[in-house]
Amino acid sequence: MKGTEVIFEDVSKFYGEVLGVNKVTLHIPPGITSLVGPNGSGKTTLMNLMTGLIHPGRGSITVLGLSPRDPEQLMRVTGYATQFDSAPRWATGMEFVSTGLTLYGYSPTEARDRAWQALEQVGLTEAAGRKVAGYSKGMRQRVRLAQAIAHDPQVLVLDEPLNGLDPLVRAETISLFRRYAAEGRHVILSSHVLQEVDLISDQVILIANGMIVAEGEIRGVRDEMSEHPSQFIIRCRDASRIASLLFCEDHVTEIKMNDDRLGLLVLTRNREEFSRALTRIALAGHVIDGVIPSDESVDALYEYLIGGGRA
Amino acid sequence: MMITKVQVQQAWTIARIEMRRAFLSKRGLWVYLLALFPAVAFFGHGLQMKFMEERWSRNGLTQARVVDSFTKGEKVDEILKRAPNPSFDHEWTNRREDEGDRDDKDRKTQPEEPQRRRAISYYDGQRVIDLRFTNGVLVEKHVRFFRDPTDDRRVFAVIFQFFYLRLAIFFGCLGIFMNLFRGEMLDKTLHFWFLAPVRREVLLAGKYLAGLVASTVIFGGGALLGYAAMLWPNTGVDAQAFIAAAGWSHAFWYAAAATLGCLGYGSVFLAAGLLLKNPIIPAAVILLWESINNFLPAALQKLSVLYYLQSLCPESALIDEQQPLLRLLLAPAAPASKSLAVLGLVLVTALVLWAASRAVTRIEINYSTE
Repeated sequence: MKGTEVIFEDVSKFYGEVLGVNKVTLHIPPGITSLVGPNGSGKTTLMNLMTGLIHPGRGSITVLGLSPRDPEQLMRVTGYATQFDSAPRWATGMEFVSTGLTLYGYSPTEARDRAWQALEQVGLTEAAGRKVAGYSKGMRQRVRLAQAIAHDPQVLVLDEPLNGLDPLVRAETISLFRRYAAEGRHVILSSHVLQEVDLISDQVILIANGMIVAEGEIRGVRDEMSEHPSQFIIRCRDASRIASLLFCEDHVTEIKMNDDRLGLLVLTRNREEFSRALTRIALAGHVIDGVIPSDESVDALYEYLIGGGRA
Repeated sequence: MMITKVQVQQAWTIARIEMRRAFLSKRGLWVYLLALFPAVAFFGHGLQMKFMEERWSRNGLTQARVVDSFTKGEKVDEILKRAPNPSFDHEWTNRREDEGDRDDKDRKTQPEEPQRRRAISYYDGQRVIDLRFTNGVLVEKHVRFFRDPTDDRRVFAVIFQFFYLRLAIFFGCLGIFMNLFRGEMLDKTLHFWFLAPVRREVLLAGKYLAGLVASTVIFGGGALLGYAAMLWPNTGVDAQAFIAAAGWSHAFWYAAAATLGCLGYGSVFLAAGLLLKNPIIPAAVILLWESINNFLPAALQKLSVLYYLQSLCPESALIDEQQPLLRLLLAPAAPASKSLAVLGLVLVTALVLWAASRAVTRIEINYSTE
């Protein structure tokens, strides 16, 4: 039976004596999955491994049940937009995308139609007749994405896909990823810009020094890290009193009071206990205007997990 | 491995795409210079011959029997009476005797005196007859063929075997075939192919086909152009007879040798491009191997592309007997039969391509280490 996941089983890859990734075991389900880590952490290595550009020294990989050593089958269901341009100097955007499609067995007319649709999806039809060599960085990023999606793959692998995109195009691109994910496909992307991941990912894989540090939904990952304190901002009128009540709770590790004395920044090791404590305080008659998780972004988690080792 | 129709179509698609790069690569323009050098050289030589012929025959042709009748000791007036329209006539007076004309003993006994010298040349349509007169008497007569098709063919054979096969096709194929994979690694574009739904072996076949078509057109065409340029000024009866009898056959075998050279060297350099990063090292090793091949045992000689190519050449490139060292270095081994040569080249190529197909499945994209 054809698999539905991208699976890494105890995969290691070394470049000579340099570690690429070490003992990686992953099961990536459909949806948007982000590989997050600093430069050189092994994100691109994982992507290259799953698309067969490099081979593992140890372990096994399957993509929807297919081996990356069988590009004839694998690349029919997989599209990979790398960080590197692969367009020949002579090629226009249309030629670049449609040329690749001819290798899928499409007739020249079909290839051009599909290429046009792909370019349309990334908003590049106006520049379709121009040479890729003359494209801006953002346009090159988009034409690579167009090439990756042109054959309508089930698994879309994208290395730093949002780099160099202006805000409007970025929003459109993210919406494209979401559409793909909603159709039950895999969108696996890498990024070291953490806010991007925070916004678009169904799940995140945190990688550092070639090893998986954490994986799962962002919130789930955080919950697994029981030692990692969560931060909340509490807007209230009686900040000093509420602070003293919270200090009595074992799970609260730190409280900072706002200068206006109308708010608190609270660090807790147990989100559920914290929630129950707030309920008790509110029921006791203290007015709480709002509670905002201040570190829901992956930034804090990421820095906590890998020790702020961003390059 | 079962070859499917789809794979054949993919290989052809890849070949068509890659041909553009192989033919029009800016990096590879020097390949055209190598391929066209013999044609340009022979065309230049042909132009010079045409120009000189026009000059020699400006005063008309002199009958062969007349120029054959000139003998040493005849007076210049007698000669001019029989042949009044020389192609060239120049007269001058020597203030001193030529040192080589007399030995030292004579020089001591005879005073130096001015001598009237005259050089007259005739052209009979095939030969140039140079006559030298001293004081009005014919002292020297040199006859040379203005056009010598046999000599031209021998020169072509030498250029073809020692320049075209050994250097032009060798380095041309190095440039074209190494570029197919190694060049894309350097340009960081090889992943375009590796991310297509194509078996690596099919990719190899497509790229090899592109290189082979490009190199065959360039070098096979170059060989034919060179051969045509060599024959072009030879319009005499002998030359026409040669062309009718063996000219087309020779042209075919020169083109075949060039094509098979591309086939053999192409496979070797394609494989080298997959296995090694620096093209200079394999090029030097293969060039050395091809050069020392004549000194190796017969079995090893047959592992050389050049051995088979030289066996295909229709004329042997004779080395001047007066240069034994050069002959020792460059003389080819005993040639194989043409059918064996073709078969041997195809087998060597198949063997190398098989090794390359093993290598291409293991190759990884790792641009950062390139």
